[in-house]
Amino acid sequence: MSRRHATCAAMFLLLGLGAWQLASAGWIHAKALIAQRLIASAWVQARDGGPARRPWPWADLRPVARLTLASRKVDLYVLDNASPRALAFGPAHVGGTASPGGYGNTVLVAHRDTHFAFLERVEIGDELEFETARGRRARYRVQEVTIVDQGESRVLDEAGDAQLTLITCYPFDAVRPGTRLRYVVIAGRVA
Amino acid sequence: MDGKAAPKRTPVDLVGDMIELVFRAFVGGVAAAVAMSLAILALSATAQAATLGEAKTGALLLMTKTAGQYTVAPRVATEVAIEVSGMVARTRVTQHFHNPGSEHVEGVYVFPLPEKAAVDRLRILIGSRAIEGRIREKGEARRIYAQAKSEGKKAALVEQQRPNLFTNTVAHIGPNERVEVTIEYQQALGYENGEYRMRFPLAVAPRYVPMGESAPIPGPRTPGLPIAGAGFAAEGLPGVAPVNPVDIVVFIDAGVPVASARSSYHEAAFSKAGDGRLVVQLVKAQEEADRDFELTWSLAPAATPRAALFTQTQGSIDYALLMVVPPQPTEAERRAYTALPREMVLVIDTSGSMEGASMEQARAALLMALDTLGANDRFNVIEFNSRARALHPSAVPASAELLEHASAWVKKLKARGGTEMEAALDLALDGRDTPGYLRQVIFITDGAVGNEDGLFALIRSRLGGSRLFTVGIGSAPNGHFMTRAAQFGRGTFTYVGNLAEVNEKMSRLFARIESPVLRDVKIRWPDGTPVETFPEQVPDLYLGEPVLVAAAATAPLGTVVVSGTSGNQPWSVALTPQADRTAAGVGALWARAKIAAHMDEIARGTALEEVRPKVVKVALEHHLVSAYTSLVAVDVTPTAPTGATATALVKTSLPHGAFDLPQTDTAATLQLLLGLLALLAAGLVAVVGRRAEPAGAA
Repeated sequence: MSRRHATCAAMFLLLGLGAWQLASAGWIHAKALIAQRLIASAWVQARDGGPARRPWPWADLRPVARLTLASRKVDLYVLDNASPRALAFGPAHVGGTASPGGYGNTVLVAHRDTHFAFLERVEIGDELEFETARGRRARYRVQEVTIVDQGESRVLDEAGDAQLTLITCYPFDAVRPGTRLRYVVIAGRVA
Repeated sequence: MDGKAAPKRTPVDLVGDMIELVFRAFVGGVAAAVAMSLAILALSATAQAATLGEAKTGALLLMTKTAGQYTVAPRVATEVAIEVSGMVARTRVTQHFHNPGSEHVEGVYVFPLPEKAAVDRLRILIGSRAIEGRIREKGEARRIYAQAKSEGKKAALVEQQRPNLFTNTVAHIGPNERVEVTIEYQQALGYENGEYRMRFPLAVAPRYVPMGESAPIPGPRTPGLPIAGAGFAAEGLPGVAPVNPVDIVVFIDAGVPVASARSSYHEAAFSKAGDGRLVVQLVKAQEEADRDFELTWSLAPAATPRAALFTQTQGSIDYALLMVVPPQPTEAERRAYTALPREMVLVIDTSGSMEGASMEQARAALLMALDTLGANDRFNVIEFNSRARALHPSAVPASAELLEHASAWVKKLKARGGTEMEAALDLALDGRDTPGYLRQVIFITDGAVGNEDGLFALIRSRLGGSRLFTVGIGSAPNGHFMTRAAQFGRGTFTYVGNLAEVNEKMSRLFARIESPVLRDVKIRWPDGTPVETFPEQVPDLYLGEPVLVAAAATAPLGTVVVSGTSGNQPWSVALTPQADRTAAGVGALWARAKIAAHMDEIARGTALEEVRPKVVKVALEHHLVSAYTSLVAVDVTPTAPTGATATALVKTSLPHGAFDLPQTDTAATLQLLLGLLALLAAGLVAVVGRRAEPAGAA
């Protein structure tokens, strides 16, 4: 009697713990997916000349560009807010760096396990396309892939030419969050 | 059931059993989960473990192309030798790279230089062989470097990241090898209130990257980003000191005796060399590179220059560096001017990067400014972090009551959040004049911003009749940004290095801005000589400031006349070049000023593609590093195996707050793993429980 109850209790406790952890993990991925959908509709409205609308009523972010990598089926909306909270919803343009599609070094950051997971498969020569809110398009070709320490803010420095820098955490398969390394993909503008 | 099988047992025993089983199952499950996740963590996160482990010895690990293999970052010891001659300084920076690891590495060293440094020489020394660097267009320099690297040759590449921030990349530093890289630059000295001033920057201020989030931890410059550990050492790890020491020695040959000299923030030893030069040496053991080195000296009063003209002839061009100290205004003139009431707008940076000592200094400076206001003046106070907030919607009279209210408000200000300087400038500069008032904007900040050009454009377009005075606070303010901002704002830049200095430096600023000493400054060159000068337009001069102009003329220079309005009197002085007043490097200084002028065109809206060729032309002619030209030196013989080498960024000392790239990973994977492990453990408990049951029932 008691032993069975004890076993049951332990089992349910572990089941609960498991379910909670799985749900948390799922929530992170769900947020990443759903937010991009909501942002997509805000984007379409902004592009069609409508007023700048928030993707959801309490959002403190706006899409500023759309990043596509057709060969790897990547289609992402880039946000204007690179705070850790906003990063859950999409890649973000790092303020203070060149504006998307402009001259200089445009830096985007995103999570390694959601939006920027594809960076692992990006190869030199891949072409990224960028569309700004005003409908301007710019194409970039990947020139360099490098791994740096998180203190290396040099990658944010201005570049003489139009350049796109994508940054995410590294290693991609690290289990524990908070790594000190960053995976950096640098692309030069080609059109 | 258990009860039936063992009838002698009491209910107390049963409860005990139950608790024990639950406890064992749970502990067992959790232990299994923890053990497994630890094992996985240990396997997947070797990089972190190794980095952290090694970091205790003060080195940085870096990855090689072979997965799981790491090597140690090279270290750099820097020697700085500065030779001052008159009002020009030539500095030789020698960086000794040492690779303590066992593989060939590429070292990348980020280092600051004074904002007007004209870098014109690079030399690498490998053993006893010296290789001179050549100036090349940036892209070409990179190609030359990359080619040398792929051929296994030693090479060095010096690039300008920002006007005051450079990187030196050295290829193929062999195991336990030392490579010496020497960089030389020219600079004109600052001269103010009869004192020469020279700064050598030692720390790189991390740039603020606006994010729009408040910081969970006070202090770090990038709001919202967790910083590893409690310390803010260069590595972001507690207890890890920068391992890149700096030695500085300055030789001053002023031509006349130096009356007094002092080092503002570091302990320095002063001595006389045999040839009469003053030798200043940074005292060891406190050379830690987290605060700029500043040296000031003055000449004997009789020898204090009123005007100086240095020339250098290169080919068919005469270069000149001209300095004129305007006359002191009479007491009557000053009174007439200061009778004008002022509208003072005080802007204070309360972003996260100001936390601590900087905020204390800024607050003290601001309170001092409020004290200088008279009853006829008007004022307003604006604070800005992630947003800008004005104390009053517009300027208010400086009544005792309102001043008191403002002081109380200022005392309560706290540093947090981002640095949205644009919003603050927008509020402070409305492009309008307040008739009958001198409008002065005093901007107190550490200037840690990235979007400099945008801010310059804003200042230019909205300045109106206002004057913008920037006050740099903290151990490593962005001097480039603040000097240029003040220039666009037709004001001056003041640097306050520590709390003890606030009083002196701010008093001097307030005394100075009470009245411009010389207005409408004009320089007349000998008739018919086409002359190109920088700055093209001499700004208003405040008390203690000299006119400082670099010029290039295609014909030999004759007598130069500098004129202006002092008080309401016309004033002028004539200068003739003298044979003994020639100085090397004047041409380089002129070219550097010309490049700066071209780069300013970008802030005024000229397209980058248009400015670039102009800068490249000047820089290549004068062998200068610029935004678009780099120095590259390549060894002739390959010394390293070709192929993969690791790249190491040699850490630069950061002031008071470490700056890190955003953290871009989530706990999703970890949670997924823990969840699955917990489910697995639950399954195990169920199976074990069922198996144990018949045994218990028997």
